[in-house]
Amino acid sequence: MKKQYAFLVDTERCIGCFTCAMACRNYYHQVEGVVWRQVHPLSEEIYPHRERAFLSLSCNHCENPACLNVCPVEAYTKREEDGVVVHHQEKCIGCGNCIRSCPYGAPKYNPVEKRAEKCSLCHERLDAGLDPACVQACPTDALQLVDLAEFERTNEVQYPAGYPRMEGLNPSTRFVLPKTPKMVRR
Amino acid sequence: MQSMELPLVLFTVFSQAAIGLTLMRVVRTTADGTGSGDRDARREWGLIAGLMILGMLGSLFHLGHPLYAPTALKHLGTAWLSREVLFAGMFTGVTVLAVLVAGMTGRPWLAWLGTLLGLGVIVSAGMTYAPPALPALNNALPFAFFLTSAVVLGAGFGSWFAGEERAPLMARIFTTALVVGLVLNLAAPCVWLSGGTVMRMTGEAWLGSGFYWAHVAVLLACLGAVWKTRTVPAWLPVLALLGELAGRAGFFADTIHTAANMGGLY
Repeated sequence: MKKQYAFLVDTERCIGCFTCAMACRNYYHQVEGVVWRQVHPLSEEIYPHRERAFLSLSCNHCENPACLNVCPVEAYTKREEDGVVVHHQEKCIGCGNCIRSCPYGAPKYNPVEKRAEKCSLCHERLDAGLDPACVQACPTDALQLVDLAEFERTNEVQYPAGYPRMEGLNPSTRFVLPKTPKMVRR
Repeated sequence: MQSMELPLVLFTVFSQAAIGLTLMRVVRTTADGTGSGDRDARREWGLIAGLMILGMLGSLFHLGHPLYAPTALKHLGTAWLSREVLFAGMFTGVTVLAVLVAGMTGRPWLAWLGTLLGLGVIVSAGMTYAPPALPALNNALPFAFFLTSAVVLGAGFGSWFAGEERAPLMARIFTTALVVGLVLNLAAPCVWLSGGTVMRMTGEAWLGSGFYWAHVAVLLACLGAVWKTRTVPAWLPVLALLGELAGRAGFFADTIHTAANMGGLY
């Protein structure tokens, strides 16, 4: 398998603090209303406990990205060296086709630029040997950067409940599921 | 609830009306093999070209950067939107050419070529608006909706140019397309109610939508008018057009995206 960088979301460790989302926002200063990383609480149907569990999600840098396939102006590329899906905003004409087509809602419309934009896994930081801003900021190590070609954990899943199953796209994000919380009786 | 996408509503409905008219020209002029159903071709091609140009201009307002619209032809390899733009551009070219060369009778090969390219527009639009992110429409339904709209509007407006001998044919096609449109529109949301979460949400959104019921009401009213008059009155295609515009606005506004339910059951 070729090198494929991916986010590993450990929902057991995630405390829903939104630091990853804020770090992304602080780093890129997106315009109001544009959010590249979002923290979604799992519904009570999926995690029926007083404690909450969360999915921290941004672009999944899919193996077969919908955004790349549907973009009429070839504004998306997938990097050969690490599988990161990059949006080249200068080519975008703001047709919104990627926004409509990505089942994970990763591309967003920037009303100021009148073009789409999305997480590009901080590829400029990766090239400098740094972690993405969200990964670096996570206080509980719940969000990690992994290379799927060398990934050796066995307790991760690709499609947890609360996340659309899209086998044709093969999203690269992996999840560690939350455990049932411990009940302490007094 | 997503955006109503008015420019896309105008583009898809006007282009489908133009394609339907071209298709009905072929049907009318080849119905008995003599070409006798063709009258006032220049005016009809003028309407077809006008609708198409209006739709194409309308679609530009959907883009953040309309001046770069021609670059949308770059990704013909995988992007159905690029193919839709290509087919729509070629179809518009054929309609303009047909206006220029038509007299009282048109050139049949232009109507055939236009019909083929028009079907290309409908197929590629059907694929463009059927992404996996919209589970309710990630199938052949957009194509079926678009083709039905094209035939309803084509037969409706085509009756303006049909003359007395072809008017019953246009009325029959119009009525059949209305029935198909009604069945599709009534069945689809009911089927979605038994689907996955996002599909069910889409079914509920459509059934609770004024756009949807306005469309259904117009289809029923058109059927009633044809049943009562046994022909297609001149005003009826305009009513049908308004109904299709309302239905298309609902198509864009009330179809739920998978991302709307992130963290919930799918």
